[in-house]
Amino acid sequence: MARDMNQPILKVDDLKMHFPVKEGIFLNTKKFNRAVDGVSLTIQPGETLGLVGESGCGKSTLGRCISRLYQPTSGSIQFEGNEISTLGSRALLPYRQDIQMIFQDPMESLNSRHTVGDILMEPFIIHNIGDRVSRQKRVQELLEIVGLPARSVSRYPFEFSGGQRQRIGIARSIALNPKLIVCDEPVSALDVSIQSQILNLLIELQQEFNLSYLFIAHDLAVVKHISDRIAIMYLGKIVESGNGEEVYKESRHPYTQSLISAIPVPNPHRPLNRQIITGDVPSPINPPTGCAFHPRCRMVEDRCKHQAPRLETISEGHIAACHRKDETRGVIAET
Amino acid sequence: MRAVDDLSFDVMPGETIGIVGESGCGKSVTALSIMRLLPQPMGQIASGNVIFQGQDLTKLSLPEMEKIRGARIGMVFQEPMTALNPVHTIGRQITEVLLLHQDISKDAAIRAGVEILDKVGIPSPDIRMTEYPHQLSGGMRQRVVIAIALACKPALLIADEPTTALDVTIQAQILELIRELQSDLGMAVIMITHDLGVIAETCEDVVVMYAGKMAEKGSVYDIFDRPKHPYTKGLLASIPTLDTIPKSKLSVIDGMVPGLLDLPAGCRFENRCPYRQDGCTLAPPPIETVDQEHQVSCLRWQEI
Repeated sequence: MARDMNQPILKVDDLKMHFPVKEGIFLNTKKFNRAVDGVSLTIQPGETLGLVGESGCGKSTLGRCISRLYQPTSGSIQFEGNEISTLGSRALLPYRQDIQMIFQDPMESLNSRHTVGDILMEPFIIHNIGDRVSRQKRVQELLEIVGLPARSVSRYPFEFSGGQRQRIGIARSIALNPKLIVCDEPVSALDVSIQSQILNLLIELQQEFNLSYLFIAHDLAVVKHISDRIAIMYLGKIVESGNGEEVYKESRHPYTQSLISAIPVPNPHRPLNRQIITGDVPSPINPPTGCAFHPRCRMVEDRCKHQAPRLETISEGHIAACHRKDETRGVIAET
Repeated sequence: MRAVDDLSFDVMPGETIGIVGESGCGKSVTALSIMRLLPQPMGQIASGNVIFQGQDLTKLSLPEMEKIRGARIGMVFQEPMTALNPVHTIGRQITEVLLLHQDISKDAAIRAGVEILDKVGIPSPDIRMTEYPHQLSGGMRQRVVIAIALACKPALLIADEPTTALDVTIQAQILELIRELQSDLGMAVIMITHDLGVIAETCEDVVVMYAGKMAEKGSVYDIFDRPKHPYTKGLLASIPTLDTIPKSKLSVIDGMVPGLLDLPAGCRFENRCPYRQDGCTLAPPPIETVDQEHQVSCLRWQEI
C-alpha cells in the first residue's frame, strides 16, 4: 500500500449523521436530528484542523463519527485512502490504533476504579502488543512524555488535579503511536494557567511524533492558537474554513464574524465594538429553511430564506457559504 | 479549612468590581459569605465584616438578612439549570421573590414578572411565565435567573460566573444585558469570573485572588497594564489571544494551586513563583500600596 506524499491522512466527504427521534405512543421515528448534515473536510499529516462552533452544532458528533464511535448515516471517511465509514468492529481494529481521542472531562473519561497504570496498560492488552515487562516500560515512558511522575502508575485518577488527569488522558491517547487524534474540547474544563500547559504539551507532541489533530473547541482564541486551518460549524454544516489567520482576519461568513466579535478580549483599552447576534441556535431536528443561519443573520435577504448557500472559494483554501459573501469583506477589520 | 483569608474590597453604586481567580481560589465563597449563604454549620465567617449601605451584614439576624437577600442584593449563579427550580413554572419563581419582598397583589406580581422578563429580552414573556425551566434554552434560563435577581431592583448584583456555562454569542448577549440594566438601575455589580476577557470588558476595578487570598487589587488598567504580582503577570501571559502567533509556546505558570488544607506558611504563590526568594517562604507578604487604589501582596513587587 504505497502512500503518495500529498495524500491527506483524513478525507471526509459529504458526511451525514442523522439520529432518529422517536416520539408518539408507539415510538415511531418521524423526525431526524440532523446533527451532522453533509460535512466535507481533509486533514494533512502533521496538521491541526480546528473545528469551532456553539453547543449543539454537531462538532462533537462529527469527531465521534471520524473516530468511528458512531456509524455515520451516509458519506465517506477515508483514512490514508482507505474507506472506514462502513467497516465493522473487527475490520476497524487496526484503525483504532491509528485514530485516538482525547475527551473534555478527564474525570469522566478515565475509569475511576483503575490505577493510572491499568488505564495506560489497557490499549496494549486490547491490541495484544508486547509482554508485561515491555508494557510496563512503555507506560513509564508515556508518563515521562506527558510530564507526570513515575510513581503515578499505582495511583487512581481522583488523586490527580484536572490538568494532571488530562495528561493521563493524553498519555493514553498517544500510547499506540496514533497518526490522528480527535481532541474534543481538551482544555475547556481547565483553569487558564493549566490550559496553557496542556496546549503546549499538545503542540510539543505534535512536533515530536508528527501527529495530526482534529481539535474541537468552542473557544476561538484557543483553536486559532493550536490550528493550522480552522473550520466553523453551524447547525451540522461547515459554513467557513480556511487557514487560521485568514478566517480570523478575512472572515466572510456573518456567523464567523459575529463569533469573533463576541469573544471577550483581555484588553481593557479595546473599545467595545460588537455585533451581537440575537436569538439561540435553532434545533437541528427542525432546521430553518434556506441558509440555516438566516434567522439570526444581520445580512439576511430574501433568497437566504429559501435557498441554501453552497461553500464557495474566496481565495485559495478559504471557503465560505454565504450568498452575500462579496459584501461582507473587511467587516471586522477595524476591531 | 481557610477558604478566604483577609479579603477587603469595596464597590460604589453603578460600578462593577471583578473578582478573578482559578477554581478553588475562594471567589464563590466570597460571594456566598456576602450573602450569608455559606453551608451551615461548617461555613463560618471567622472575622471581618460586610458593610452594605452602612449596615453590617455579618451582624444581622437571619430574618433581617432574608429581607435583604433577593430584595436589595440580587445574585446570579453559574448554572441556571440548578439555580432554577425544575418543578415550578418560571412565573411562580419570579412572582415568589416579588410577593416575598414587596407588598403587592398576586396579579400585580404577575404583571411585574412579565415586564421584567420582557426587559431581559425574553420573547413572548406572558407565555414563558407558564413554562418550566427545561422548556427554555441555556441562554434564556440565564436571562430568567437575571430577571429574578433584578425583580426587586437591587442596589447590588452579585454575578458568580454568570456566563461560564454559555456559548460566546450568548455570553455577549448576557454581558450586554447586565451592562444595560446596570446603567438603567444604577446598581453596583460584583462580577466573579475566571475569564480575564470578561473582566477587561465589564469591570472598573479588579481583585485578583489566589488560594483564598488577595494577590492584587486595582483599577482594570492597573491590573492589565501594570500588573505587580507575579501571579497576575503569569495569568495574563498564559492566555492565548487571537493575536498570539499560532503554535508558539505559551508561557505557563508551573505547578499547581496548593490545597486549602496544606497552605504554605509564607506567600501562597511561593511554590510556583519565578520571583521566589528566601523571605517569601517565611511569612505571608504584607499588602502594600503601589499607588492610590492599586495594592499588591508581594515582597518583590517593585521589581516586577
